[in-house]
Amino acid sequence: MAASLLQLDGIGKDYARSTNRSGHLRLLYDLLRGNPPTDFFRALNDISFTLEAGSSLGLIGENGAGKSTLLKIIAGVIPPTRGRLSVNGRISALLELGSGFHPEYTGLENIQLAGSLAGLSDKSLRAKREEIIEFADIGEHIQQPIKTYSSGMIVRLGFAIATAVKPEILLTDEVLAVGDESFQKKCIAWQEEYLKNGGTLLLCSHSMYHVQKLCKDALWMHHGAMHRYGPAADVTTEYLVYHEEKSTLDRKRHAQHAVFDGGVYAVTGLQLSSDSMSTSSGLHRQKLGDPLTVSGELHSPDGRAPGVSIGIVRIDGTPVYGLVSEADRYTPARIDAHHFAFKLRFPKLPLLPGKYTVRAHALDPEGMRLFDTVERDLFVEGATRELGLCRLDHRWGDADAGG
Amino acid sequence: MPANVVARLYAHRALFLNFVGRELRNRYVGSVSGALWAVLHPIAQLAIFAFVFAAIFRSRAGNLNESQYIAFYACGLWPWIAFREGLARGTASLQNAAHLIKKIAFPNELLVGAAVTATFVVHLGGFALALVVLKLFNQPIDFIGVPVAILSCASLYLAALGLSLALSAIQLIIRDVEQVLGPVLDLLFFLTPILYPLAAVPKSLQPVVSANPLTYLLERLHEALLFKPSLPDFGDLIAILCAALLLLTGYAVFKRLSPHFEDFV
Repeated sequence: MAASLLQLDGIGKDYARSTNRSGHLRLLYDLLRGNPPTDFFRALNDISFTLEAGSSLGLIGENGAGKSTLLKIIAGVIPPTRGRLSVNGRISALLELGSGFHPEYTGLENIQLAGSLAGLSDKSLRAKREEIIEFADIGEHIQQPIKTYSSGMIVRLGFAIATAVKPEILLTDEVLAVGDESFQKKCIAWQEEYLKNGGTLLLCSHSMYHVQKLCKDALWMHHGAMHRYGPAADVTTEYLVYHEEKSTLDRKRHAQHAVFDGGVYAVTGLQLSSDSMSTSSGLHRQKLGDPLTVSGELHSPDGRAPGVSIGIVRIDGTPVYGLVSEADRYTPARIDAHHFAFKLRFPKLPLLPGKYTVRAHALDPEGMRLFDTVERDLFVEGATRELGLCRLDHRWGDADAGG
Repeated sequence: MPANVVARLYAHRALFLNFVGRELRNRYVGSVSGALWAVLHPIAQLAIFAFVFAAIFRSRAGNLNESQYIAFYACGLWPWIAFREGLARGTASLQNAAHLIKKIAFPNELLVGAAVTATFVVHLGGFALALVVLKLFNQPIDFIGVPVAILSCASLYLAALGLSLALSAIQLIIRDVEQVLGPVLDLLFFLTPILYPLAAVPKSLQPVVSANPLTYLLERLHEALLFKPSLPDFGDLIAILCAALLLLTGYAVFKRLSPHFEDFV
């Protein structure tokens, strides 16, 4: 069996650090003796995964989660402190385009230097020079010192050199599309061609859209460790949920359970269910496009049938949809003198994957006053690259003449 | 393990040559005459030495006779400048290339090697030119001693390389190395027979000056090119072996510290 293109086994990285002068001496002494540093920052711990040829992995996580450190280790810029790394292919790292450039030198001279830093021999570099110049497409400027370049021109030249290496594994750190609009298109076209031809991609990005579009799998890193590893759609959705929850943490959350005061109209129970599962507390999960039934009970202090309002908001508070029973001329069914039941069904819930909150409010029978709020969290799962809140009915191609 | 190292470095020879070329070009880039300075510099330096030492320090030149002292200074100064500057540039080379070390995977030792090598290329080139010019001006330079001179300069090169590898790595952790190195090299300059022959040193100081390994190399240069031209002997071989040992030691220190370079740059 052929070895995997890239294999990480328990990779860890500690950054030595010291805060004072004597600490530096102590550190030097330790390192020279071959001892591990006594004071260190654990940037990565126990990272293991395998990348087969032709696969694609997205690396996601908050700032400082260790993504860049991991990329550097894979690229060979720094050795891991622990673990085993095996690479069986040519890597090209687009970690920071143009970082090998010298400002005093012309574009052509920098192609020479950056190319040899990227591991190209002089011979193959000569063969590729025209290709690089053509791809970078910066015209006469190629004869001028880099210090006269705009930042856009520098990244164009950097991208052209990095891609000339014809990598078997491409590592990129948020630099998928650089330069102006037309050069970005060139970058994307190149990448699609690269992936189509069986290239392997390791993409580190904060753009879930790009991760979902380009990667089959995703690794969510958190505080230097593997937090989730799996299909890109699932991991990115969870990651987004995590962020949405984090951003709403500060906001005052509404009560999770019924506020029951004998004197007012109130929601005394709320369940979410799809055909297969039902949840009366905590998080309800279901698949994209499954039916959703929202049911519950209402308390009526005076025995008249109260109204109910159901709303769905995304976890960050964006309203998605809301309705009032009274407007639909629906009356909750009586259970006993003071209790009523309601049931609302969405035959094919079109919400896109993500986390939502379903809210139920009790209203007076006139539909005028809103009393309390009960919430249930809803998590929609699924693999899709659609964007936004919900799936709109749609059809591609020419519309029928008759409508 | 050494075979591994050699293979890895050989695989990066194109990069090494590029680095050396860059070091050489960096000295002259942006200047109008460019590489012409590489020729003009040593000749100007020799003219200055000839003037300063002939006109000012003449009386201090020990027991050298009238016809010898310019050739004597020339034989010692160029190799010393190569050593001194090679060591200084080599020590600073890693820190100056922090942006590369942080971002790009390549054998970092090439940076040190290129800085030292480029310096030696410039100054030993100048040295060779100076010797030829001196010969043309009828100075008592003897080319029979060239093999010994080459061996001695090679020892200086290996020593500078070994020390630079260790110091450049330590410099990343302790930034004071560069500051300490300057005065130490200044002191070393006067403890090495460059401006004076060993014989001119007062008896009480002779052991100190003789204990300096550079003294041996400089004395050999003077002997070979000036006083008693000869072919390489056993001592020259020992010297270059010691220098090679220093190189291996320096490289070992470098390798110990190199996994942590990125922590500090």
